[in-house]
Amino acid sequence: MANFNIDADKSLTYDAIVIGSGISGGWAAKELCEAGLKTLVLERGRIVEHVVDYPTMNLDPWEHELRGGLTPEQAARHPKGGRSGFIGAFNEHFHANDVENPYTEVKPFMWVRAHQMGGRSLLWGKQTYRWSDLDFEANAKDGHGVDWPIRYKDLEPWYTHVEKFAGISGEAIGLPQLPDSHFLPPMELNCVEKHVKERIEKDFPGRNLIIGRVAHLTEPLNGRGKCQFRNRCDRGCPYGAYFSSNAVTLPAANATGNLTIRPFSIVQSIVYDEEKGKASGVRIIDAETGEDIVYKAKIVFVNASTLSTTQILLNSTSNRFPNGLGNDSGELGHNLMDHTYRIGAMGTVEGFEDKYYKGRRPNGIYIPRYVNLKDGPQSDNFVRGWGFQGGGYRHGWGAGSNQEDFGGEFKDGLMKPGPWEFFITGFAECLPSHENKVYLNKDVLDKWGQPTLSIDAEWGPNELALNKQIRIDAKEMLERAGLKDIHDFDNEHEMGYGIHEMGTARMGGDPKTSVLNATNQVHTCKNVFVTDGACMTSSSCVNPSLTYMALTARAANHAVSELKKMNL
Amino acid sequence: MNRRDALKKSALALGAAAGAPTLLSLLQACAKQDRLTWTPIFLNEDQARFMTAFVDFLLPKTETPGGLDVKADVFIDLMYAKTYDEAGQKYVVSEIEKFNTDCKEKYGNVFAELSVEDKAACFKDHESNSPKYAPKVWGTAVGPQEPVGFYRGLKSMVLWAYFSSEEVGKNILSYDPIPGDYLGCIPLSDVGNTWSL
Repeated sequence: MANFNIDADKSLTYDAIVIGSGISGGWAAKELCEAGLKTLVLERGRIVEHVVDYPTMNLDPWEHELRGGLTPEQAARHPKGGRSGFIGAFNEHFHANDVENPYTEVKPFMWVRAHQMGGRSLLWGKQTYRWSDLDFEANAKDGHGVDWPIRYKDLEPWYTHVEKFAGISGEAIGLPQLPDSHFLPPMELNCVEKHVKERIEKDFPGRNLIIGRVAHLTEPLNGRGKCQFRNRCDRGCPYGAYFSSNAVTLPAANATGNLTIRPFSIVQSIVYDEEKGKASGVRIIDAETGEDIVYKAKIVFVNASTLSTTQILLNSTSNRFPNGLGNDSGELGHNLMDHTYRIGAMGTVEGFEDKYYKGRRPNGIYIPRYVNLKDGPQSDNFVRGWGFQGGGYRHGWGAGSNQEDFGGEFKDGLMKPGPWEFFITGFAECLPSHENKVYLNKDVLDKWGQPTLSIDAEWGPNELALNKQIRIDAKEMLERAGLKDIHDFDNEHEMGYGIHEMGTARMGGDPKTSVLNATNQVHTCKNVFVTDGACMTSSSCVNPSLTYMALTARAANHAVSELKKMNL
Repeated sequence: MNRRDALKKSALALGAAAGAPTLLSLLQACAKQDRLTWTPIFLNEDQARFMTAFVDFLLPKTETPGGLDVKADVFIDLMYAKTYDEAGQKYVVSEIEKFNTDCKEKYGNVFAELSVEDKAACFKDHESNSPKYAPKVWGTAVGPQEPVGFYRGLKSMVLWAYFSSEEVGKNILSYDPIPGDYLGCIPLSDVGNTWSL
């Protein structure tokens, strides 16, 4: 699947421009190209071709001189994203350079970025869950933020549409708060996970422990191979088994002959035509030459990732929009959300010493939200809820570091697997708050002379109350499930650690209080669509990427239909 | 007479009693211990000798290779050279010096030159005085993590150097680079040793 058309300068005019090539940008490109639109994808980083540009995908630890260790020079490129603990030599080339792309933490906020074709779709956790009306009705019900202009029934066919092509594995169990997807066969729980599942489901009616639902193929699909259980996903998958733009949507877009992708294209702004009252194109800076170029198109999809998308909109000023494109409401940049992260419990499971597993499953268990359900009891301490991720595994040789032992027997003992461990860690919903915001910082410019972002956001009392209960519940569940040496924890991470940034250009029914309409169009500039995390009106507690995919496909198909009707 | 001289003397005495070939091999053993068999790129010769002794005492050769057989000491020197920044490099050098100074105070010599019994006493002392690693989820610690100190940090690094080596990772642990499937509940006896990857 080589040979992307990167010769963007052959023509400066396209039917559609998509800014960004990550999860949502890839979907926009596929849907628009397949509908026959000549589409230009603007990517600020380099081309990453599936398989060809995955240099570390097959390396064993000993095949790398430093066995995955970073040099100080490499580490120095990631003073921000490095805080996640996820950057090593095998994936460092897929993480953005924080030094060339500064941002200002008015309050601490870890922002993980990936500046290359495919973006964070190469690095994501791949947990994929449908949202439900528990989520889409939440703001209306408890009065936080503004109401979503859509409901589950609006998105349901689009979830199915994207799932059939992306490939989602999981088990259907019919929970109203976590609707089933169109599933490939589920991955397997291991012995200990099955054991804990039985205990928790028996002792806590209404709580379910299920295998994670993930964007990994458990059967071949459209020429992609199934997961080989190597768990080296963040290096790029040679089988194309997990969903990424590089392996899935961009090749499909390319196959239509309608795709042009332009690498090293830093979007400076969206160009607004004051006479026509709509966007006429996109101004870029060539990252390598510094050249300034304007591309024209009938429609623009902004999919640069939540905060970068908002940064572009804020920087797109005109007489009509002096405070950023579509910012009549003053809400552009506001209502930043994330999920809380790393609050839970872990413990040892006795027994099962003669049992083990085979394969490195890139997935764990999931405990869907069980508090404040539609027809259940409501907490007095908080609104909304959380879900748990987790898993069971046997200790390996790493446990030797803490053992008060040394010598030959110690060494040989570490050759055998140690005790079983099981953990759960919660992801809580974050309320939309006007106070949690980003804005342009003209005092700190990036390498290309563009204003950067200041991020000013922190957890509110509701998130802290949710976290408190997560910790209590996690400990209680593991205790009742019979685990030993239970260790409950709350790392008190600041926002950003969930790597689920949402909001800052929210959808809503009222242009006075929101930026986007029910089909992700800027209320006051309808040929500009925003379908990445920036559009989110609330945050749910479940992982958002599948919803970005569905919203994008829905908006792209709406755009095509509006173009046909000459409405854009 | 220091401990080292005493050891030499007793070795000679023992050799004399047991015959010439044994004497020769003992002398060779002593000489080998003194001579560094590899060329460090970061540590100086004394520090490298410490590293070799530490690795060998933590993970000696048994029926399976020892730490030195897979060059764990050489690898750690490389890691210090290439992955530590200046502050980190200063830290390890001063900690090695401190470790040896403590050994001299308590047992009369630097770590590499101590008897097996004194080395064991030294390690036991460090084990009971070194904080432990907090449990981890997805590769990073949960809950507060106090600094584990040089001893436990180095121990952890030696374990990593050993178990991530090709010899151990491929030929001793259970190596399966492309499992193909996930089977969640199989007899341990079907696998044997812990998975290497």
